[in-house]
Amino acid sequence: MSFTKPPEQLRTFAGIACVAAVLLAFDVAFSAMAPARISFPLDEQAPGEFPAEWIHGSKSAMDNTDPPVQVHAYNEHTYILRENKAINYEGAFMYLFFGNGVAMLIDQGSTSSPALFPLREVVDGVIDEWQERNGQHDIELIVANSHLHGDHYAAWNQFVDRPNTVMVGLTHEEVMNFWGIDNYPQQIVTYDLGGRELVVTGSPGHQGSEIAIYDGWTDLLYTGDMFYRGRLYLEDWDAWVTSIRKLRDIADQNPVVHLVNNHIEMTTTPGLDYPVGTTWQPDEPPMEMTLEMLDEAVEATFEIDRPGIYIYDDFLIYNEIPWGYTTDP
Amino acid sequence: MSRGRVIAALILMLLSTATNAHLLNMTDLHFDASDPEAVLLHIKIDLGQSLLSPVDYWRAVNSDPAEQYALIAPAAGQLLNGMQILIGGTTVSGSLQSWSLEAASLEAIENSLSPQMAILSFDFGRLDISPTSEPADSSLELFLDEQLEIPWPALLRVDTSTRALPVSRLLTANDRRSRPISLIDNIETTGSSAMARLAISFQAWVPGLSWLAIGFQHIIPWGLDHIAFVLGLFFLSTRISTLFYQVSCFTVAHSLTLGLATLGWISVPASIIEPLIAASIVFIAVDNLYNDLLGRWRLLVVTLFGLLHGLGFASALSELMLPAENFYMALLMFNLGVEAGQLTVLALAFAAVGWLRGRAAYNERVARPATVTIAGVGTYWLLKRVAF
Repeated sequence: MSFTKPPEQLRTFAGIACVAAVLLAFDVAFSAMAPARISFPLDEQAPGEFPAEWIHGSKSAMDNTDPPVQVHAYNEHTYILRENKAINYEGAFMYLFFGNGVAMLIDQGSTSSPALFPLREVVDGVIDEWQERNGQHDIELIVANSHLHGDHYAAWNQFVDRPNTVMVGLTHEEVMNFWGIDNYPQQIVTYDLGGRELVVTGSPGHQGSEIAIYDGWTDLLYTGDMFYRGRLYLEDWDAWVTSIRKLRDIADQNPVVHLVNNHIEMTTTPGLDYPVGTTWQPDEPPMEMTLEMLDEAVEATFEIDRPGIYIYDDFLIYNEIPWGYTTDP
Repeated sequence: MSRGRVIAALILMLLSTATNAHLLNMTDLHFDASDPEAVLLHIKIDLGQSLLSPVDYWRAVNSDPAEQYALIAPAAGQLLNGMQILIGGTTVSGSLQSWSLEAASLEAIENSLSPQMAILSFDFGRLDISPTSEPADSSLELFLDEQLEIPWPALLRVDTSTRALPVSRLLTANDRRSRPISLIDNIETTGSSAMARLAISFQAWVPGLSWLAIGFQHIIPWGLDHIAFVLGLFFLSTRISTLFYQVSCFTVAHSLTLGLATLGWISVPASIIEPLIAASIVFIAVDNLYNDLLGRWRLLVVTLFGLLHGLGFASALSELMLPAENFYMALLMFNLGVEAGQLTVLALAFAAVGWLRGRAAYNERVARPATVTIAGVGTYWLLKRVAF
């Protein structure tokens, strides 16, 4: 195939350059048309806002006009959902985190029936809107859980036949296999949610498969049911002590702007909770908590040495006390 | 939510208050086939809030075993009769084997927010399936009868001796069917095809077979740059021996660096390797334009480029995590898959244009345009990998 004549060589190298130029042109054109990959930098704190108030039930549940699920965009890629307390008194919070090509739903509320609690319909709506806004299509949904209590996965079945969906599972082994945790609860792993880095670790005490999640992009520390403004039902005190101190360590090593969680059971009066089963909470404090509150919990781990109910301004510790007991007179 | 929906929700809640007051006492169903010779179903249930009255349950808690059996037998019968378990489409039956009843007080049983759970264990005998069973013959399905009222939801967990992980299903008052669960492997019965079963059989026959497929995939369709390089070797001349020597040198060289890099003995960043691979394609193609005979130096260059390409394969393989238990087998199979991919590329090239090699116009009409295209594509990759 040898060639020696200069014009022939010139034509040949022009041909090579043409092929490369055409491919480069296509590449640039396709890159321009493709949606930009969303960046989730760790060195900046992505701002976000909480609502002025969450839906909190109503005096007469029959007169409740709130949606079955409140959808609040903490920021453009982070949604917090709350189940209507008129449907279930738990009023559980759920979280929807978005990354490139993927969304993760953490927890599925306390009501199974899609007629009463159309969680999938709501989540699909949020995903559709997010995809449209971000130029993405057919993103995967991961259905995960903070822990394995029924008031947080009741609507799990609404997602089992959803296309392009990963169901993490409802056994300890399935959950840990998904996160890549093979030394629960000590291990701290990093999960890549489409370019969004989540730090995940075991946080038992309330329940033996619970996890806590630190989102390095928003600097939110998600503590599920093991730390929230309410009755902290602890089945294993020693495990909770280790977990709460570990959360403090994570907060020492990473910037944390808020602690977010699953329930509100306190009133705005320090140390006073709503009765178990309340479906109207007009004086709810914010759901998000502060590092000072975490410090108070850490201090409690040094003060409490036996089962009982311990009252703090922003939470109550039910140390190995049965669920049904309340602080009501 | 519309006002109508809230009202409908409240009416339904009121109607179901007796059994659906809260979720703390939900029911756990644990089908434990981890010992196929002694399959058990453990049911953890708030008996005093469902199938027994609180008084009867409290009485059972405080009775001797014989009395306990008499008191809980009707509830156990209700559970067995209200539950259908199919294995391979055949209903299996069990019998109450043991039980554990716990309650702090009658008041605690009566308090729906204070679940006092009982565990009833049912013996289902021997599980009559083998690892080679057809999926349809080795699936478990559980139905709860419409008449059976238990604290909802019910979480089903299935353990078997052949699955690394348990399987979970959630059953609710309106969704009482577990859907099929395979008892022999991690492939769900639903949707599994004959092709999938064949693949699994091969996998069992030759451990690491999947790595052969992964290696092949790293050439076809994912290894476009390696395909371009191999085609560059193909278009040098019309002689088969020329191609044979080049491909042999390339194969030995990339196998060497693939092995060394995978073992961790050598390491070169992908940011260096990838542009060099692109440059190797350009070099080979341009060299084709000047030569049609295989010189020794060309074999040396092809060998050097083979070393580069092997590092590229290793970089891709490092993202896949070879299994520790059969590391060398997996590495070997991956490499064989790469070779199979290369040979497939050459076979396809022969099928497409090989029969024209004897024609006078072959070089002018086929080899040169193809070589120019390969050089252009290589230039594009080189620019992209260096500049972007």
